[in-house]
Amino acid sequence: MLPRYWARANNMSMIRFDNLSKRYESGYEALRSVSFEMDAGEMAFLTGHSGAGKSTLLKLLMLIERPTSGNLLINGKNLNRLPDAKVPFYRRQLGVVFQNHQLLFDRSVYENVALPLQVAGYSHGDIGRRVRAALDSVGLLDREKHNPIALSGGEQQRVGIARAVVHKPKILLADEPTGNLDPQLSAEIMALFKRFQDVGVTVLVATHDIDLINRMNMRIMRLNQGEMEQDGVRYGGY
Amino acid sequence: MAATNSKSRDGARRGARGQVLSRLDRWRSYRQHHSSTLKSSAIKILREPLQSLLTILVIAIALTLPTALYLSVENIRQLSGGVEASAQISVFVKKGARESALDALGEKLDGLSGVASVSYISAQAAVDEFEALSGFGSALQYLDENPLPDSFLVQPLLVSDAARLVAEIRQLNLVDDVQLDLAWLQRLDALLDMGRKLVLALGAALGLGVILVVGNTIRLAIQSRRDEITVVKLVGGTDAYVRRPFLYSGLLFGMFGALVAAILLTALGFWLAGPVDKLALLYQSQFSITGLGVGGVITLLLIGGTIGLIGAWLAVGQHLRNIKPR
Repeated sequence: MLPRYWARANNMSMIRFDNLSKRYESGYEALRSVSFEMDAGEMAFLTGHSGAGKSTLLKLLMLIERPTSGNLLINGKNLNRLPDAKVPFYRRQLGVVFQNHQLLFDRSVYENVALPLQVAGYSHGDIGRRVRAALDSVGLLDREKHNPIALSGGEQQRVGIARAVVHKPKILLADEPTGNLDPQLSAEIMALFKRFQDVGVTVLVATHDIDLINRMNMRIMRLNQGEMEQDGVRYGGY
Repeated sequence: MAATNSKSRDGARRGARGQVLSRLDRWRSYRQHHSSTLKSSAIKILREPLQSLLTILVIAIALTLPTALYLSVENIRQLSGGVEASAQISVFVKKGARESALDALGEKLDGLSGVASVSYISAQAAVDEFEALSGFGSALQYLDENPLPDSFLVQPLLVSDAARLVAEIRQLNLVDDVQLDLAWLQRLDALLDMGRKLVLALGAALGLGVILVVGNTIRLAIQSRRDEITVVKLVGGTDAYVRRPFLYSGLLFGMFGALVAAILLTALGFWLAGPVDKLALLYQSQFSITGLGVGGVITLLLIGGTIGLIGAWLAVGQHLRNIKPR
C-alpha cells in the first residue's frame, strides 16, 4: 500500500477524470462514467465519431459545463468544489485551441494573442514580450499587425495556438484543431503541439483525423457513445 | 513553461508558472485597463456618430424637460419672493373714529404676532396721494367731504401668515374693511408646490426613460460584441472585466446626454433672457433669469452619468448571463 500511496502523491496527475458522467437537461447522456488520468507533460489524442462525447469532455475541462456525477481533479484539486467566481482564474491555467479558432476580426493578430494576458492583468511591456515570443513560436512574428481575416486558414489556426500558449498554460486543449486544414498543414500543427509537450505542457487534442494520429504513435483515448472504449498507445494503422 | 522554477521559493509558492504577477502589477494593470476601457468606450461612441448621437439626443431631451421645468419653478419662486416682501394688508378704519382710538388700533395691530410693521395713512394723506398720482385730483374738489377713510398698512412677516392676520384684524373694533390683494400670491405658492412635485414626477418618469434607452443601447452593443465576450470569458476574463466597457459606455452616454442638455438649457436661457428683461422692465422689477450655473451643470452631469450607469448595469446584468460560457 505504502509505495503506491507515495507514488500517487509524488507523481500527481495533471488531469484526472474519476467516474465522470454528464447528463444534459434534455436527458441526453453525453458521458458515462469516464475515468482516465494524464500526467504533467503528457500528450494524448481524444477521438471517436461525432456525438461520442469529445466536446462534452473538453467542455467539462474548461468548466463550460459541470459534471452530473463523478470527480474531476486538475493538479490534485477537485473542480467540483470550485465556486463560479473562481472559474475565470482556473481558465487562465488552460490554453484552448478551437476548431473555428475563435479569432476576433475587429483587431490585429497581436491584439488577439494579447487577450489572455490583458485579461489576467499583465503589464504593457510584459504583454509585448510574451506576445512576440508566442507569435515567434508559431512562425508568425511578421504578421502581428495584420488583421487575422487576411490570413490563410492554417495561419489563422496558428494565431489561435499562439493565443492558447501565450500565457504559458499548464494544460493545452485543442478541439478539432485541424478540422479545416489539408494533411500537410495538419501535420505542421501537430508538430507544434508536440513542441509544447516537449517543454512540459500537458496536451489533449480532440480530433477525428485518424490518419494523422496513427502516424504520431501517441496515447489515444477513444470515446464511443459517452463511454471510454479504448485507452492506450497504438502503433500502426487502424 | 517550467522556466519559473528558477524564480526561487516565492515563485514556487505562487504555483502557476509564468503567472508571477505582484499585487502592484495587478493594481497597475487594473487601473490601466480602466483608463484604456474608458478611452476605447469613448472612441466606440464617436466611431458610430449617428447611432450614438440619436441615443445622446434622446437622453438630452429627457433630461432637458424636467430640468427646464425645475428652473422655471425656481425662477418663479424667486420672483414671488420679491413680491412677498411687498405683501401688505390694507386696514380701513370706520369713519369718525377718534384720534385716541386710532392710536389704540395702531398699537393693537403692531402687537399681533407675525406683523413686521404697521404704518398709518390718514384720510387726508390718502387724498393727497390720490390727487398726485391719479390725475383725477380736480374731481375731488366737487365732493363735499373726503370720501377716503383713514387706513393702516400692515406688513406681515410671512405671506403665509397673511390670511390668518386678515381674519384676526377683521375681529378688531373700528375696522371697517380689510383687503389682502395677495390671495393670488398664495395660489402661486400652491402652484409652485405643485410644480415642484411635477418636476419630481416628470424627472422620475423621464429618468426611467433614460435608463431604458441606455439599457437598450447597451443591449445592442452586447449583442454586437457577443463573439468578443465569449472569447474573453474562455481565456479567463472575470465578469467584472467583461462588464467594464459596457458600464463605461453607459456612464459616457449619460454624461454626454447631460452635457447636451446643459447646452440646450443655456441656449434656452439666452433666448428667454431678452423678453424676460423687457417684461421685468415693464413691471419695474430687477428680476432676471437664473440659469443652471456651474454647480447645476455639474449636478446635471452627475445625474446623467448615474442614470446611464444604472441603465448599463441593468442591461449588462440581464444580457451577459445569456452568453455562454457562464
